[in-house]
Amino acid sequence: MFQYYFNLGVRNLRRNPVLTTLMALTLAIGVAASISTLTILHMMSGDPIPEKSDRLFVPLVDAGPLDRYTPGQEPNDDQITYTDAVNFLQSGQGVHRTALFGVDGSVETQRADLGVIAAIGVATTADFFPMFNVPFLHGAAWSNADDQNGGNVVVLSRPMGEKLFGKDDPVGKRIRFLGADFQVVGELDTWEPVPRFAHLMNAGGGAFGQIDDIYMPFRTAIRMQERNDGKTSCESRNDPGYDGFLASECTWLQFWFETKSASDRSQLQSYLDAYSHEQLKLNRMPRQNTNRLFNVNEWMSRLHVVSNDNRVSTVLAFAFLLLCLVNTIGLLLAKFSVRAGEVGVRRALGASRAEIFKQFLTESAVVGLVGGVLGLLLSLGALYLIGKQSTRFEVLAHMDWQMLGLTFVLALLASILAGLLPTWRACQVLPALQLKSQ
Amino acid sequence: MLQMKNLSKVYRTHMIETHALRGFDMHVKQGEFVTVTGPSGSGKTTFLNIAGLLEEFNDGEFLLDGVDVKGLNDNARSRLRNEKLGFIFQGFNLIPDLNLFDNVDVPLRYRGFSKAERRERIEQALAQVGLASRMRHYPAELSGGQQQRVAIARALAGSPKLLLADEPTGNLDTQMARGVMDLLEVINASGTTILMVTHDPELAVRAQRNVHIIDGQVSDLVRKMPSLRVTDGDQIAVA
Repeated sequence: MFQYYFNLGVRNLRRNPVLTTLMALTLAIGVAASISTLTILHMMSGDPIPEKSDRLFVPLVDAGPLDRYTPGQEPNDDQITYTDAVNFLQSGQGVHRTALFGVDGSVETQRADLGVIAAIGVATTADFFPMFNVPFLHGAAWSNADDQNGGNVVVLSRPMGEKLFGKDDPVGKRIRFLGADFQVVGELDTWEPVPRFAHLMNAGGGAFGQIDDIYMPFRTAIRMQERNDGKTSCESRNDPGYDGFLASECTWLQFWFETKSASDRSQLQSYLDAYSHEQLKLNRMPRQNTNRLFNVNEWMSRLHVVSNDNRVSTVLAFAFLLLCLVNTIGLLLAKFSVRAGEVGVRRALGASRAEIFKQFLTESAVVGLVGGVLGLLLSLGALYLIGKQSTRFEVLAHMDWQMLGLTFVLALLASILAGLLPTWRACQVLPALQLKSQ
Repeated sequence: MLQMKNLSKVYRTHMIETHALRGFDMHVKQGEFVTVTGPSGSGKTTFLNIAGLLEEFNDGEFLLDGVDVKGLNDNARSRLRNEKLGFIFQGFNLIPDLNLFDNVDVPLRYRGFSKAERRERIEQALAQVGLASRMRHYPAELSGGQQQRVAIARALAGSPKLLLADEPTGNLDTQMARGVMDLLEVINASGTTILMVTHDPELAVRAQRNVHIIDGQVSDLVRKMPSLRVTDGDQIAVA
C-alpha cells in the first residue's frame, strides 16, 4: 500500500499547486537555514583524524613562577617551554613525538618571474608527518639525521609546491627561505584538515585559517634563531639573547605525543607527573600544578574551536525551522480540509482510520521530499554565499554526504511532524456526514 | 443477510436528544431488492448509515451476514464494509483526481487483491456498466448518469453481498434514472442483495419489497411487490 499512497501523494502535488509550492518552499527555507548552519557547525566540530584522535595527546605542564599563583588555580597556558619540549622529544614516550612552532618568511626560487613569495611555515620534527597521517605526493619527510643535525631541508605543501615548481616533482630542487638555502625533500599531497588541529595555535587565521606552506626541521629553525610566529607567554624575566630566551620559562611551543593505544594515556600521564616532580628537584615547576593531557577532540574543545556564537546560530536556525513547521502545519490543514469528501468515500469503501492516516502522512512525506530537494539546492546556494564571505568560511562551507543525507531526513521528519495534526484531523472525518453533503 | 432487532440511535447534544431510530427492526434476506421510503427526517439515512457500518448504534442487535457488528473496532468494521458491502450515493462521490479505472480500484486496494486480479475485476465491472472504453477518462468528462454507472461499477468490483444505495437516481433525469434502475435490477437478478433509499414512488414500486419508515420506526405500510422472489421469512416486524 505504501507505493499506492506514495503515487497518490505525487499525483496530489498537482492538486492546489499554489499551496503545494508554498508548503515545499516553506519547508525548504527552514531546512536550508538549519542545514547551512549545521554544516558549518559539523565541519567545525568534526573529528579531523578519527582513526587516531584518541591516541594523539597534547601535554601541558605548568612551568610558571609562584608569584601571583594561588594553589589550585587552573593553569591557563596552552603551550610549553623550550626546555620541556626538548625533554619531551628525548623522553622516548609514545610511538611518535613532535614539537612545533610557526615560522614566517619569504620564499625565493631561481625563477625570476616568481619574485618573492610570502609563506607561513612550521618548524617541527620528522615524526609530525606519520603521526598526523600527512600524505606525500613526492618525496618523503626529512631524515632523523636532519632532525639531529638541523639540516637545511624543507617539505612543501602541495599549493606551495605547485606555485613554485608547477606540476614538476620538486624533490632535490632548492629554494631560499628565511635568508638561507634549503633543499626540497618532499611535497605533500592535498592535506587540508578541518580544523587544522595539528597546529591550532598559529598566526595564519586560527583553526580554519590558511594551511601551512612549508615544513622545516625544528632544530634547523632553532639554529637559525627563529621565534614563534604566534603567541609567546613569559611570566618571569629571562636572560638576554636567543639562548636566554631558550633557557627561559617562556611558553611558545606546541607539543604532541602519539601513543600506541588510547589506554596508554594513563602511562603517559604518569610520565608527566614524574617529570614534573623531577623538574622540581632542578628548581623548576615550583607550582606543581596539575599536569594535563588532551586528546585531539579535548584539545579542540579547550581551544574553543567551535564558538558559542556558532552554537547559538544553529539553535536559532532550528527555531526558524520550527516556525516554518508551524506554517506548514497550517498549510497542510488547509490542503487536507478540502479532502474531507475523499476521506468519507475511502472510509465507506473500506479504508480504516489507520489506512487514511498512512495515506495522508505519506502525502505529507512526499511534500517533505520535494521540500528536501529544494532545501538542498537552497543549502548549497547558501553555503556558496557563506564561503564567499571569508577564507575562514570557505573551508567550512562544504556539504559532505552525511549532511546531504541529513537534509532529506530533516525535510522528511519535518514534513511528517507537520503532517501529524492535519492527518489526525483527516482521520476524524465522519464518513456518513461527508457522503451526504457531497 | 441483514438483521436488525430493537435497534436505537440517539443523537445527543448538550441541549437536546434526537431519537433517529427507536425499536427499529429489519430483516433483509439474501437476494432481496428492498426499497426504503419515508419522509425527510424519518431516519432513512441513519438506517442506511448503520447498515453500512458508517455509524454506530446505541442499543439493539445488528447481524450483517451473520456477523454481530456490535463492539467491533474500526479495523474490523472497515474490513467488513470492504468485503461485504457496496455503496452507491446520490452525489456519485467519485474522486475527481482519479480516472475511472483508479476510482473503481479504490475498494480493491483495501482488499489486498493482486494487481492482475484488480485489473480483471475493474475491467469486468466497467464493462458491466457499459463504460469499458472510457476507463482512462476522468469523472468530470462524463454525464451524471455515466458517473453513477461508474459508482455502481466501483460498488460491484469487490463482489459485495449487499449493495446499499442512497437515492441513487436523485441527481439524474428520468431517462437516466430508469437506466440506473434497470442496471440495479440486473445486478439484483445476479444474486446481489440491494437496499435502496428513495423518495421516488415509481422506483420504489419496482423493488420486490418496500419498507416505509416514519419517526425512526418501520411503519405498517409495507408493500409486497408482485414480482417478489423471496417468498418466506420476509416479515417485517413493527416496533
